[in-house]
Amino acid sequence: MLQRSLPIFFAGLVGIFMAVQYFVLHPGMARIYNLVLDWKQVVFACTLMLGVFSLIRFHWRKIARRTADAFYSLVVVISCSITVLAAAVFGTETGPYTWLYDRVQAPMQATMFSLLAYFVASASYRAFRARSVHATLLLLAGAVVMLGRVPTGDLIGFELHGQRVSLASIAAWILDTPNLAAKRGILIGVGLGMISTSLRIILGIERAYLGLSRGTGADI
Amino acid sequence: MSLGARLARVDRRLIFLLMTLAVAGPILIPIKLPIIVSKEVEDFYREIEALSPGDHVLLAIDYEPDVMAELSPMSEAVLDRLFAKDTKIVALTLYPGGVGIAQGLLEEAAARHGKTYGEDYVFLGYNPDYSGTMLRLGESIKATYPTDQFGRDTRDLPILRDCDAYRDLSLLVSICGSQLSEFWAAYAGGRYGQRMVSGNTAVQAILIYPFYQSGQIKGFLGGLKGAAEYETRIQRPGQGVRGMGSQTAGHVVIVLLVLVGNAGYLAARRRRA
Amino acid sequence: MSHDPSIWITALLTLAIFSFLWRENPVFRFAEHLLVGVSAGYYVVQYFYSGVVKKLIVPVEQNFAANGLLIFGGVLGLLMFARLWRRLAWLARYPIAFYVAAGAGYFIPSILEANVLKQIGGTLTAPAAAATPFALFSAVVMAAGVLASLVYFYFSVEHRGAVGVVSRAGILFLMIGFGASFGYTVMGRITLLIGRFQFLFRDWLGLGL
Repeated sequence: MLQRSLPIFFAGLVGIFMAVQYFVLHPGMARIYNLVLDWKQVVFACTLMLGVFSLIRFHWRKIARRTADAFYSLVVVISCSITVLAAAVFGTETGPYTWLYDRVQAPMQATMFSLLAYFVASASYRAFRARSVHATLLLLAGAVVMLGRVPTGDLIGFELHGQRVSLASIAAWILDTPNLAAKRGILIGVGLGMISTSLRIILGIERAYLGLSRGTGADI
Repeated sequence: MSLGARLARVDRRLIFLLMTLAVAGPILIPIKLPIIVSKEVEDFYREIEALSPGDHVLLAIDYEPDVMAELSPMSEAVLDRLFAKDTKIVALTLYPGGVGIAQGLLEEAAARHGKTYGEDYVFLGYNPDYSGTMLRLGESIKATYPTDQFGRDTRDLPILRDCDAYRDLSLLVSICGSQLSEFWAAYAGGRYGQRMVSGNTAVQAILIYPFYQSGQIKGFLGGLKGAAEYETRIQRPGQGVRGMGSQTAGHVVIVLLVLVGNAGYLAARRRRA
Repeated sequence: MSHDPSIWITALLTLAIFSFLWRENPVFRFAEHLLVGVSAGYYVVQYFYSGVVKKLIVPVEQNFAANGLLIFGGVLGLLMFARLWRRLAWLARYPIAFYVAAGAGYFIPSILEANVLKQIGGTLTAPAAAATPFALFSAVVMAAGVLASLVYFYFSVEHRGAVGVVSRAGILFLMIGFGASFGYTVMGRITLLIGRFQFLFRDWLGLGL
């Protein structure tokens, strides 16, 4: 019971309270609501710290087993330790900790993601094929938006009934009308799906997030 | 090998070289291009201009270094405009990697405008659990952030003396590299009626249109182009405007690559037929 | 060209990451793992300082009478670490259940309002708010597109007859939407590259604007 039923019951209690308090303005409810939100933040911080500890444990084990790429795991563990020590000894406002962020982490993280520009170019060349009507429509919409949403999009156009129709205005219409319709349809559908999943969690039907299977409540 | 076959087999390293030349070229040889302000940027501009001196603005700098090339130009422009209008800026971030970015932007902008920390602006720092933070701010800013990023008690800061929840804020500006703008609209806007505008990466901006049309977000800036349009509107050219040459060249290369790829594909299909 | 050693270190690390474009190599792998390690250290400091020190230790020290109950949040957080030991891992179910269910609880009314009701409202009121005939046409097209997209995702009814026609129209709207997303994704990725090139050419090599 302690391992299976009680966590599910606890989840239901907390979930129902948080759903109901949205509509109840009683000061007592507000105090408990604020307390729950504060506890959530501490739990979340501990969860994220657990993630980092797991990462270090994973690499530490690779070093201990002297696997083929144990050197790189050593790089991870040493650089993590130096960063934490820098914060502990010199503080987080200035010094080696902020230097590591400004000169190592931030630029390297930015560079990692900038590689995507090259891969999107390569993927566009290799995979973006007008094989069907749908694919052609997708391709045309993409091309119009790409060319319309840069300054040259305002320069390419024609006159229609005394009004200037530019690539930029066509791109804007695509974004404001068919794109908006599609995104809104997806938003509503996903929203309803997420509400349904939340209800299933609160009612104890969905238990996979606790590592339990449905029905029997056995460990997955 | 026929031309069609060659078009279908371009080495990817040649594609990488083309992209490099397209993006690097306008950085080395700048191109000046006209920039026309779109409706959503004009609405963003109007919301900021409607602020009065002394109004409190919540500035959520919710992004990390991976997208700072897209969002820092608009963050700089918005900060400059907010400081120029003598608004009080309550800044925070919901990403741990955003602390360094936000701190740097605030300090540089404050130095440019001669603003004093604690009176004209405050940096509350990072709080874990974004949804809990967004909701908690509706009850009490000081309880959500007992201290600011630098360990100062928020009860002692002059800027927060008369400002403790969304009801005391004139505007929420969310500069965000993920879905957080939508959650600000849901939690701060939906539950507490907080008026908001947003600045988003291009990938996220495409998803903001439904929120903009329904009035949940009053205006938004999308990607580097959005930053360039806003800089043009406030007559303060910056990184956004300077990046438009490379952006245009990059887009043209991508479209050409798609056309070349399809030309090769169609030629191969015709050969097989 | 810059004479600042920090800029040189950053530039060399940037080029190390870019070397992946040629092929995977030890220099790239070293840089990649260095990034992972420094990021992990940076994040754990931020989580501890912001989540534990600021949200638990400082408020409890400031006013134990008013904030003493926060300690229960700390206990829940500590239970999370039970996951590191297999025999005690079940203890972590309590903080997970608390966190997930609390989020699910306030999620329901908030998302129902923001993602469903407000969106439906925006769709239905758009034609009435149209100021010109073209705006009215666009609003009607938008409303039709929302309906068609929703019908496409409704799999409880077979897509035949009238439902099939509307569903196929929905696919067309979705394809245009995905094309627009592709265009904006390309825009975003190229901007990231612009940022790095501006650093390399301007800050490191002292070239260009």
